[in-house]
Amino acid sequence: MPDLYHALTLFLLLNLGAGLWRVVQGPTAADRMLAAQLFGTTAVAILLVLAQAGGVAALRDVALVFALLAAVAAVAFVRRAWPQPEDEHDRP
Amino acid sequence: MTRTASVFSRFPLPRLLAFALTWWLITEGAAASWMIGAPAVVLATLISARLLPPQRLAWAGLAPFAGFFLRHSLLGAVDVAQRAFRPARPLDPAVIDYPLQLQPGLPRVFMLNVVSLLPGTLSADLEADCLRVHVLDAGQDNPAQLAHLEARVAGLFGLTLTHNIN
Amino acid sequence: MTGPDYLSALLLLAGALFFLAGTLGLLRFPDVYTRLHALTKADNVGLGLIVLGLALQSGSWLVAGKLVLIWLLVLLAGASVAHLIARGARQRGIPEWRR
Repeated sequence: MPDLYHALTLFLLLNLGAGLWRVVQGPTAADRMLAAQLFGTTAVAILLVLAQAGGVAALRDVALVFALLAAVAAVAFVRRAWPQPEDEHDRP
Repeated sequence: MTRTASVFSRFPLPRLLAFALTWWLITEGAAASWMIGAPAVVLATLISARLLPPQRLAWAGLAPFAGFFLRHSLLGAVDVAQRAFRPARPLDPAVIDYPLQLQPGLPRVFMLNVVSLLPGTLSADLEADCLRVHVLDAGQDNPAQLAHLEARVAGLFGLTLTHNIN
Repeated sequence: MTGPDYLSALLLLAGALFFLAGTLGLLRFPDVYTRLHALTKADNVGLGLIVLGLALQSGSWLVAGKLVLIWLLVLLAGASVAHLIARGARQRGIPEWRR
């Protein structure tokens, strides 16, 4: 199993890296926020796998915090940081 | 005082148990943690009872709903995955209006969230009693699927809808 | 590897496949709404399958329960955020892509 855990972690990390393309591309701020969503879910998955692989129970608590933080970040973005209306050059 | 009395008379025991279970799980059963956990659980129950009045929940319907939810969210993921994998990227999106019968409150919020996890539907907006749903495939019978879900949610909260579209 | 190990491995690999689908959708789908579909549905099920695979390996009901709890939390957050972003995008006049 350990090999599988590490391969899985690496795969999820690469997956995350590919998602960065959407941050670069946009075109709207909402599209960039989607990548942040992806980061939240993937980070939780990676941390849970690493917790099991290394027998580090505390990493599950880190995953829990990540899950909460991703939600808070998204809400803060929608309520506070999202320009209204979207900038013209940001339009798709 | 009456307010204190009403808080205690409506003290929701199921919620207390749910918070206690949550604490027990996140501490992975550490016995010493209950020094902090017990007061936290009681406090959380009191505050939540104040913010959200106790809800009726058809406990017997919980397991069937969980089964329905797991099956359909898996179907939803498979559906969207094959659309993402296929080179042709088959999408035919549309926005449809769905008149909600569920009254404002927890059942409606619950429905709003579940809609986004089921096959091909995403709750995009809510105006008065009308739910705007973004669908991936306008060719599917999305309204029937939504009506089925709404009836299921109503059943879970022990409500009956006046008329069923199905 | 024993029987449960094979089942775990299968679940973990299936979970990874859904994460890949979510990212593909994020990159290939034409607008923010369709990308939201891909992310919320595929990644949440992907995480669910990985959680299931890990729960089988954890050897403890408590840890399995905690994993499921974390999954439910991510589900709730994901669905709520998807709605918030979709609604915000509509309010800001971001058009929906049509075939």
